[in-house]
Amino acid sequence: MVAHGDSSSSEKKLGNGLNDLPTFNAENLQQNMKTIHYSRTFMSIIGGVVAGIFGFTGLKGFVLYFLVMAFTSIGLMAKAKFSVHSYFDSWNRVLLDGLFGGLMSFVLFWTFAYDIVHIF
Amino acid sequence: MAEDLVLDTAIRDWVLIPLSVVMVLIGVLRYFVAKLMRSSQTPDAKMVKEGQVILRARNLRAAANFIPTKAFRARKIYFCNEENGLLFVPKGQAQNPQAQMFSDPNMAMDMMKKNLSMIIPQTLTFAWVNFFFSGFVAAKIPFPLTQRFRSMLQNGIDLSTVDVSYVSSRSWYFLNLFGLRGFFSLILGEENAVDDTQRMMQMGGFGMDPSKGLSAEKDNLDITQHDWALPNFEQRAETVLKKLVS
Repeated sequence: MVAHGDSSSSEKKLGNGLNDLPTFNAENLQQNMKTIHYSRTFMSIIGGVVAGIFGFTGLKGFVLYFLVMAFTSIGLMAKAKFSVHSYFDSWNRVLLDGLFGGLMSFVLFWTFAYDIVHIF
Repeated sequence: MAEDLVLDTAIRDWVLIPLSVVMVLIGVLRYFVAKLMRSSQTPDAKMVKEGQVILRARNLRAAANFIPTKAFRARKIYFCNEENGLLFVPKGQAQNPQAQMFSDPNMAMDMMKKNLSMIIPQTLTFAWVNFFFSGFVAAKIPFPLTQRFRSMLQNGIDLSTVDVSYVSSRSWYFLNLFGLRGFFSLILGEENAVDDTQRMMQMGGFGMDPSKGLSAEKDNLDITQHDWALPNFEQRAETVLKKLVS
């Protein structure tokens, strides 16, 4: 997806995987976190528009949201070449961080697209 | 009420879409106005010094295991000793943040500017929405909600028989206000998103006592356990080299 493509440049290699000591550069870690938030927001907006255009209502839309988020997580992991620990300090960063942050944007764009396409 | 209301297409073209577009544009405008009004204040030398000391102490704490015990202890004493350590703040010398704020009129001015740049556009848009669009059913959220949300979503319509999932135009304004934050962070860059929360933080602990930061960092450094990493590095080097050879 687009969001992962253009975020690539900002992800930096931190420390090497062999090291069992935590050798993280705090700034780079923060940059990576920012990238995650950016991708998640982007995907939640896209997901909202998609859900609205398809006319999903009720639970279906929220299921779609979580599917999109899971997809984003997989994409981020693929971007980190599945060695999450060389970019982040724990798996939760990739899997859970900002999971609900995009919900408000999702609902807004879902409603907007749904109203424009379906109810009038 | 289960049956659907029939909404006029004109409402979509002249209420829903313009309202959303205006909200986005106002957000962008506010961002640029705030950027223009931001004054670059020269920071106080003492504050900068303290901030740098805290940074150095933090670096020491993060990299503690990479230097020998003796070196670490020497640095720790340099930072934390009770007479003239860099992180040691004598009692009673801590400045009252309130007094500090009033001694520097620029600070208060800056805060007011920031506040105004946030409040004025919001009041204006709200008045505008109220004046032009009050009383429309503008949108319908695609999921059911309970009666409790009626006051939130149907602000401005006093009908108790309309299904709760219909949204009045005034409430659509509020939804936009909160929901567009993520969108702004995408189109205006990250700094905008952080800005709001940071502003809140600044306002909360304005002129936060710098000595507090110093003593907190001192406590952190005091309890840091030193465990030199070098002995293990030989083993690590061995495994790495073996891997290279084989």
